[in-house]
Amino acid sequence: MKFGVFFEISVPRPWGPETEYTVYQNCLEQARVADELGFDQAWAVEHHFLEEYSHCSAPEIFLTAIAMQTKQIRVGHGIVTCVPELNSPIRAAKRGAVLDLVSGGRLEFGTGRSATWTELGGFGANPDETKKTWDEYVRVIPKMWTQDRFSWQGRAFSMPERSVLPKPYQKPHPPMWVAVTSVGTEIDAAERGLGSLGLSFGGVGEQAQKIAGYRKRIQSCDPVGEFVNEQVNTVSFLYCHEDDEKGITTGQRMAGTFNYLSEQTLATRQAYPTPSYLSPGLLYQLRQESTSGPEGRVPEGLTIGDPHRVAQAVRRWEEAGVDRINFLLNVHEMVPQEDVLASMRLFAREVMPQFQGDQAAEPAGATAAGGA
Amino acid sequence: MPLTGTRDLSEIADTAPLLASLETEEWELKGAQHLQLHYELGGDREALLPPALHPSIPPTLLVNVTQVPDSEVGAFTFATVRVGCRAGARPRGLLVRGYCDSAAAASVLRERWGLPLEVADVELDPSYARATTSVTVDGTCVLAGELVDPQPITGADVQYMATLALARVARDGEETLLLQVDPDYTFDRAQRGRARLTAFEAEAWNLPGASASHPISASLTTVDMTLPRLRYLIHPDKDPLSAVERLPQPQPA
Repeated sequence: MKFGVFFEISVPRPWGPETEYTVYQNCLEQARVADELGFDQAWAVEHHFLEEYSHCSAPEIFLTAIAMQTKQIRVGHGIVTCVPELNSPIRAAKRGAVLDLVSGGRLEFGTGRSATWTELGGFGANPDETKKTWDEYVRVIPKMWTQDRFSWQGRAFSMPERSVLPKPYQKPHPPMWVAVTSVGTEIDAAERGLGSLGLSFGGVGEQAQKIAGYRKRIQSCDPVGEFVNEQVNTVSFLYCHEDDEKGITTGQRMAGTFNYLSEQTLATRQAYPTPSYLSPGLLYQLRQESTSGPEGRVPEGLTIGDPHRVAQAVRRWEEAGVDRINFLLNVHEMVPQEDVLASMRLFAREVMPQFQGDQAAEPAGATAAGGA
Repeated sequence: MPLTGTRDLSEIADTAPLLASLETEEWELKGAQHLQLHYELGGDREALLPPALHPSIPPTLLVNVTQVPDSEVGAFTFATVRVGCRAGARPRGLLVRGYCDSAAAASVLRERWGLPLEVADVELDPSYARATTSVTVDGTCVLAGELVDPQPITGADVQYMATLALARVARDGEETLLLQVDPDYTFDRAQRGRARLTAFEAEAWNLPGASASHPISASLTTVDMTLPRLRYLIHPDKDPLSAVERLPQPQPA
């Protein structure tokens, strides 16, 4: 089992001249501390127009800043939105390659398609097309990274033959992932040999079933890249405190606030009837599974409370087949920065060592060109 | 905390229904045709909502027209224009004025569910190529629009938002409240197309300054629709976290 951190970058109102600056600086400090403490990965979302909930609309720049101030921690796009109106696939491949180069081969490349009308509508994207364009992107981007010259005639885009430059530092290319929120996307990931980047915050039982299906299906996959990235990441809130009650109370406030903010956005399904978005997506699952445990108990797998309780939750994820948990460290700046850092340090001191030595989450297939 | 509204709904409640009781029974309306035109909302989003509600991100305008072929008060058609919003974390549509072409049906819907409907000419004309609608009040067209290029989808693809209807309720004195009306739908057919509004007079819907800024989608469904017992209401002037009141429900036998 390995551990990462996960940035949504939520910014509370009122928005003064320093508000976004302060939140960004806090997140950068958290990434530095995570690197020092031995966290393995730092992921950043790509979201647009999601007031207060997420102001992380240029993750490649944020992740570059993290890479420049850290030594070991890998940097994860969680995710690049694979929709032409939001990101050109050519630009996405190039940006990923540059980030991989400047970070010394530390890029994890997550892919997805967005779940909200707030974002898709803002860019004039057609929700009926996003699954198709995502599928096309994940097939062409590794080719852009590995082929000297590349051309394409497709549905989402076409291009005459060019050399897409630069190439990533990791060879043959960085590990690729897909965000798994909608039902069945874990099978989409497995069929393409992609890592499963679970984003549904909680719900161990339901995710265990998905993971089992993923592990089974990926054995016979047709990988879109040069190698199979059989890894399962999930995400949870982290608030670890010596006082169990304080840890639980604060953690549940974080989860509740996060869900409340997320529900203010307009899910694609609420606005645009389409079979392309079968479930309400990320948001409904969040509310159902991560904030309301049976009889007021802490929901299974939610990593909040004292170190003992948090370790138990981690073990439950481990039993479910997860390779790595990425932690959301703060929401809406409701936890003071010094308390966030204290929570991280306590986790690293008391919980992380219990899981050292596990080898389950080694990246498969990608190595830094200048490294091992 | 997300943004909240600033509108004092008591100032526009004089024409809203006055309910003597919140007790009502379900009403099943079979074979209804239901048109929804969904737009992004232009205008001052906070000024259209009361303090109990958050504007959704982005705020939306929901035009709904329901044509009921038969009922205990005969056939009728009614139209609403709602502001898409959030009651706490839940998606809702605020309704402060609508229109119905049947005085008898309007009376039932006002008295039992608090829907603030007035009598006017309401048309819904579905065809294979499009579905058009219009609302005319005292000879003035206050709404005209259509669903264009219908394509078949399934009812499972459609998600309707519950209504919060502006009403006055006589309890301990007269209160201005929002009654939650969230019908059950059993879908028979569903189509999706492009939304096009050609006329929208915001003042006629008691939504001053509102505009339909950007079309999102249109849907036309054939449904069996059941108007439910009232289960929740909202105190419009309270903050979102304390505004919801759950109404007592009959115990199962």
